[in-house]
Amino acid sequence: MKEQLRMYKLLAAASLRSRMQYKFNFWFSTIMAAVINVVEFAMLAVILAKFGHIKGWSLEEAGYLYAVLTLSKAIYRTLASDVHHLEHYLVSGDLDNLLLRPIPILLGLMSQNVSFRIGEVLQGMTVLILCMRELFQHGQITWTAIPYTVVIVLSGALLLFAIGLLTASLGFWLTRIEELQTITEDAARTAVQYPVSIYPKWMQGMLLTAIPVAFANYVPSLYLLRGEGGIGLLIASPVVAACLFAAGLLLWRRGLMRYQSTGT
Amino acid sequence: MLFLTLARKTYRRNLQYRGAHMVHNLASAIFGFIYVSIWVGIGQSQSLGTYGLNGMISYVAFNQVSLWVVSFLTNGLGIEQSVRTGQIATDLMRPVHFFYQLMCREWGQIAYQLLYKSIPIYALYLLVLPLHVPSSMITFLWTAVALALAAYISICINYLIGAAALWTTESRWLYWVNYAFSMLLSGFLIPVEWLPGWLRVLSHASFYPFLHYIPSKLYLGLEDASSLLGSAGWCALLTGLCLFVTSRMRRKVEVHGG
Amino acid sequence: MIQVQHLSKQFRTAAAKEGAFKGVRMLFSRDVRIKHAVADINFNIEPGEFVGYIGPNGAGKSTTIKMLSGILHPTSGRVTIDGLSPHHDRRRVARKLGVLFGQRTQLWWDLPVRDSFDILAAMYGIDAGMMKRRLSQLSELLELEPFMDTPARKLSLGQRMRSDLAAALLHDPAILFLDEPTIGLDVTAKRSIRHFLKSINQHLGKTVLLTTHDMDDIEQLCGRVIVINDGKLGFDGSIDDLRRRIGLPTLIRITYKLPIADSAKHAITRSEFNGLQLSCGEDERVLTAACNREQLSAMDALRMLEQYGEIEDVHMEEPDFEEIVHRIY
Repeated sequence: MKEQLRMYKLLAAASLRSRMQYKFNFWFSTIMAAVINVVEFAMLAVILAKFGHIKGWSLEEAGYLYAVLTLSKAIYRTLASDVHHLEHYLVSGDLDNLLLRPIPILLGLMSQNVSFRIGEVLQGMTVLILCMRELFQHGQITWTAIPYTVVIVLSGALLLFAIGLLTASLGFWLTRIEELQTITEDAARTAVQYPVSIYPKWMQGMLLTAIPVAFANYVPSLYLLRGEGGIGLLIASPVVAACLFAAGLLLWRRGLMRYQSTGT
Repeated sequence: MLFLTLARKTYRRNLQYRGAHMVHNLASAIFGFIYVSIWVGIGQSQSLGTYGLNGMISYVAFNQVSLWVVSFLTNGLGIEQSVRTGQIATDLMRPVHFFYQLMCREWGQIAYQLLYKSIPIYALYLLVLPLHVPSSMITFLWTAVALALAAYISICINYLIGAAALWTTESRWLYWVNYAFSMLLSGFLIPVEWLPGWLRVLSHASFYPFLHYIPSKLYLGLEDASSLLGSAGWCALLTGLCLFVTSRMRRKVEVHGG
Repeated sequence: MIQVQHLSKQFRTAAAKEGAFKGVRMLFSRDVRIKHAVADINFNIEPGEFVGYIGPNGAGKSTTIKMLSGILHPTSGRVTIDGLSPHHDRRRVARKLGVLFGQRTQLWWDLPVRDSFDILAAMYGIDAGMMKRRLSQLSELLELEPFMDTPARKLSLGQRMRSDLAAALLHDPAILFLDEPTIGLDVTAKRSIRHFLKSINQHLGKTVLLTTHDMDDIEQLCGRVIVINDGKLGFDGSIDDLRRRIGLPTLIRITYKLPIADSAKHAITRSEFNGLQLSCGEDERVLTAACNREQLSAMDALRMLEQYGEIEDVHMEEPDFEEIVHRIY
């Protein structure tokens, strides 16, 4: 494990160096990602500033949900950016290059094309700090919320990674997964940027079971921000993330085996 | 006829991928559904002005449907790639005006997306949402005209974005800036009158409302056909700009000798 | 060093459907076609051998290499590399192998060559001192210095191939798999790659398995040739054996002083005449005879050909290696 961490660091650093070769592109994608994020949030903020609340969720609360998820996503995509792009590796045959190396494939994939999502991190942190300050002043949260938030962000990152890994692994069978990823990763994540209670029951059910991305922010926030449920909701988040990740690793291994026996 | 030939080519090329596009439509429909849910969430406890709850649902859903006709065009009409590969020199020297060529191609793309993306999503929304359907044919007609003009405005904008590649080599950032602006200012998610003051002013001074806000309000019967004059005005202005830029592009390419 | 026993690989492909909704119907289709990419191959390669692995496109060369290097798992049969199975021990086997795919670079596209080497060193856990020694050695042999700081995407094909070779050798593997290492290179670049390969085989004792379509590569480098065709082994032995086995004829072109006599024309129509195959060209005075030197010496052949008239000129062509290979395919 320690050895793998060291290797990840070395490989990630090298890949980051290569990204920096194109300084313009690097800064451009960083800034644009932040701008798009800001605009997305601004739309929610404009609506809530005008109408006060959405199903009882105030701007600060909705902002908290949004910011936590943004940070989780930034961490996931920084650590494992090319897991999301497995389709490209399968189509081009670049996966073979990784298979020739004496390192675990998943680790190799994670360390390719690393990009620090500075824009998203900055934007997420800003919104998070602003919202949490408001929530403090209203007495909705106390200092304990800070370590809890760290746990929520990290388990959210693991959860998003797990969903990404499960979807990518299906690529070993389906090859074409971009459309599927749009649903399981992008659409699902966009859905939980807003309080899940605004959706009809069937969709809430989907976000809690089929693609349980609601555990990344909504479920723990119910307890943390509004004192609903109990601390169990907070604990559920890392537990669900870990279980799903284990399932992801299992499917990944099966998929890789299939790749090696069929040569897709 | 050249227009039909070029348009049909793009249309046909897209047809090969329609299977994958159908899955993508599902994702796109879900996105629209998320936006609709936001307004349903708000509308349950508050009044939604002249729109009403059903009006807002229809407004947002219709915008999601029209996204594929007026917003998601070929990035910079593909000019950036053609600059990178050097193809641009040949295209510019063809006996047909460069803007006209690209515009024809893009209409094929739009026709495809209308048939295989917008209409399926619209049909789905008719089934699952209380979607407002205009009672008179004339409303449909004006909406169609508004969408066609909006698509044309979008073609012009993408042409200008693509053309910038000739001077900056990188024009992708402009595409994203346009995307960000259009989300906020076109009334895609929030009707323009509900934007905070300065954003409202900015929006009204731009062509963005004619992309989503005006077509959707026409569809809902909340706007009359006279607003199409604004669309037409922007179309004329942007056409002039595109023609001017093309002549500049020619000179630029000639100087560089391709 | 390398043992291959009853190695087979089958690919299953869904049979394509025709007509409406073919995409959808294919999803539910149970018609699969089984393609035997590699069928029951056996060979052993000893340490220090330089083996050419040849065959036409689609014969199963790349599939074999992929199975030997652990990228693909065999359907049946066994591979052992230095006692280990690349299937079960992929990561340990990877350390013993250097692999180069001529068609595709393994360098990091956007990185200076030097950085690619750094990453590989990290992957294989080569320490800094060792790395420096290896690199200076390889750099000297392959003349990498002028483009060490150039990103891989800006290298010429020859430079890229040399860098890729260095990348494959960086962790000092005992075995090299080279899949078309000279493809697309010009004559000088080919020559320098061949020279390098020869020296690492002879002086460093590396075991090399080489696939190529360039018969000069085989002739100049390989002590042993394995031919695969349609997934099956066709031949395994030395180049001389291969020549002999095919028995490709020597061509003798005779120009007579006078137009060829009728008796010779008669012999031509019979086409086979005392071990000689005769044919006429445009020129009335020229006769081409193909003879198998194993059966008939050149002098005997000439003596026979003399009977058709006085010979003015003789031209002899030894069988071309390229030809030999075409024969086996």
